[in-house]
Amino acid sequence: MLSIKNLHASVEEKQILKGLNLEVKPGEVHAIMGPNGAGKSTLGYVLSGREGYSVQDGSASLQGADLLDMDIEERAKAGLFLAFQYPVEIPGVSNLEFLKAAVDAQREARGEEALSSAEFLKMAREASKQVNLPIEFLKRGVNEGFSGGEKKRNEILQMLLLQPKLCILDESDSGLDIDALQVVAKGVNSLRSPDRGFIVVTHYQRLLDYIKPDFVHVLSDGKIVKSGDASLALELEEQGYAWLNKQPEDDAEGLQV
Amino acid sequence: MSEWLNTVLSRAQSVDDWLSPKREQSLALLRDAKWPNRKTEAWKYTPLRAVENAQFAAPADVEAAVTAIAGLESIDLVFINGRFAAEQSTANLPQGLHITQLADVSEADKTWALQAFAAIKPSRHLFGLVNDALATEGVIIDVAASAKITAPVRIVNQLSENAEAHNRVLVRVAQQASLTVVEQTIGDAYSFNTAFAEYDIADDASLEHYRFALQTDKAMSVGGSHFQLANRSQLNSTLVGFGSSLSRLDVDVTHGGEHAFAKLNAIYLLDGEELFDLHSTIEHAQPHGTTEENVRGIVGDSATAVFNGRIHIHRDAQKTLAELNNRNLLMSNKAVINTKPELEIYADDVRCAHGATIAEIDKKALYYMQSRGVDRAQAQVMLNFGFINELVDQMPNAALAEWLRPQLRQRFAKMEVN
Repeated sequence: MLSIKNLHASVEEKQILKGLNLEVKPGEVHAIMGPNGAGKSTLGYVLSGREGYSVQDGSASLQGADLLDMDIEERAKAGLFLAFQYPVEIPGVSNLEFLKAAVDAQREARGEEALSSAEFLKMAREASKQVNLPIEFLKRGVNEGFSGGEKKRNEILQMLLLQPKLCILDESDSGLDIDALQVVAKGVNSLRSPDRGFIVVTHYQRLLDYIKPDFVHVLSDGKIVKSGDASLALELEEQGYAWLNKQPEDDAEGLQV
Repeated sequence: MSEWLNTVLSRAQSVDDWLSPKREQSLALLRDAKWPNRKTEAWKYTPLRAVENAQFAAPADVEAAVTAIAGLESIDLVFINGRFAAEQSTANLPQGLHITQLADVSEADKTWALQAFAAIKPSRHLFGLVNDALATEGVIIDVAASAKITAPVRIVNQLSENAEAHNRVLVRVAQQASLTVVEQTIGDAYSFNTAFAEYDIADDASLEHYRFALQTDKAMSVGGSHFQLANRSQLNSTLVGFGSSLSRLDVDVTHGGEHAFAKLNAIYLLDGEELFDLHSTIEHAQPHGTTEENVRGIVGDSATAVFNGRIHIHRDAQKTLAELNNRNLLMSNKAVINTKPELEIYADDVRCAHGATIAEIDKKALYYMQSRGVDRAQAQVMLNFGFINELVDQMPNAALAEWLRPQLRQRFAKMEVN
């Protein structure tokens, strides 16, 4: 459903993605791990269309539609969802008003009727309960004064309401204690279905104990350098990423032989 | 010289009551006062031509019913064209709250009221002096020590065509008492009012204050709210202004005791050719005082906003914390904002910050909303409104916030971006 081919992207003239290839099929969960600065967050930003991130080469399509050609909101309406590592605080705009606008846009795009305020409120309350976020948080400004964990749970809440086709979780586990981590994982797992794909970006194996990936990829210097199944994450946890730097030397030796 | 001011001076001759000793002092200042022009710093951006030679014929008798604010169980004090309307006002008062008309004050009230009258409000406000001299209508509100008055006192000034009104409010909140006051002026027809209020907030007392200057169109208003704080007294004030042909508000807060706290939030939302002018002065005369002043406005079309915010920290006011912020959003390239934050500091151990910005939309917030499928245009509207709504959210009284929000929203929705 998500097809990324030879993606080259830069931010502020600095090349970050250098030929990234990734295929996510419906129902699959792909974990992306890798050292800092490898381009993990950039991938989410480029796919979502963030200003300042430019694509030089390659393509990215969601269910056959060219993502890179769409406005930011069009990508969301096409079913893309990025759970942010650092969700933005928007004081003055209530969480509920924001969520309603997002759900309205999504339903309109799908040709569904708009929900009444009462219907929406009921839905939002249920979703809040599911991510263990007190109902009062719906009335507060978007993420305003939320703790790190509450912000992450608010991201998952949005995901539950919007029912996207492809979810990218950008370090949704960072800064979470074990209880909050389980809440996030539970929310994600409840959305797992044969017609929905996930990309889970994380530094730690820990999250993958709760969200079992079908594939694990190692992103380094803007490319996926190694792919495997869930066991690769365990290997990485043990070995770290030091081996990534050695590899080119090995290759060079190989050539000499 | 202004013809209108001349009539004020002659009209003042016929005012004779228990406040006369104070009125005389103000009249003396008024006789020497010059009518403001473009060179007068306090009126530099706010022309007074429309008042200078104005003659306000007496308004026709009106039977205007003042509407209640839904969900607000308030004690109402209603003035129609400057006259107290007893039939629209609340007669039953809770224990600890004493309200009396200026004309009916008891000897006991006179002792403190005569002292406080025109002593909290600085004498530099020209129209304040006019009000001192002419305000025979008004109320005195006295809250007994330790009384916690939960029902807000709402003072409504309703004005109709050709009205000229000079009302006065004098409030004393005694030690450890608390009170909420809502000042509201209504009526968009051609009229003129100087509504001045003085608040004496004693040690450990607190005041929640609102002033809604929502008159638009031809209504002219040049009033003020002035606060005297004592030891550990608390002030939480929210000012909301729509512009009109002349809408000016003077606000003064004096930290006259230690550890006093003042929070001032002001919002303006201007359209058409409206003008709104807010002048605030915070005097930190004692140590350990805190002031948080946040002023935000959205200015559309060819409207003009004027903000002058002065914080004066006296030599003895060590350990003062003062923050003043004015942020503006321009909706049109013909809109004008004149903003001037002023800090004057004579103490060396204080923490102060001030700033004025012409804000742009937060790009990160815009991206975040778009990434959830919200159209860019809609996201912009939500963020722009959120810019002032943030201060509405901070209003302690939920019923007032609920009442105000749709009015702001409606006004904002009509504003065009150009």
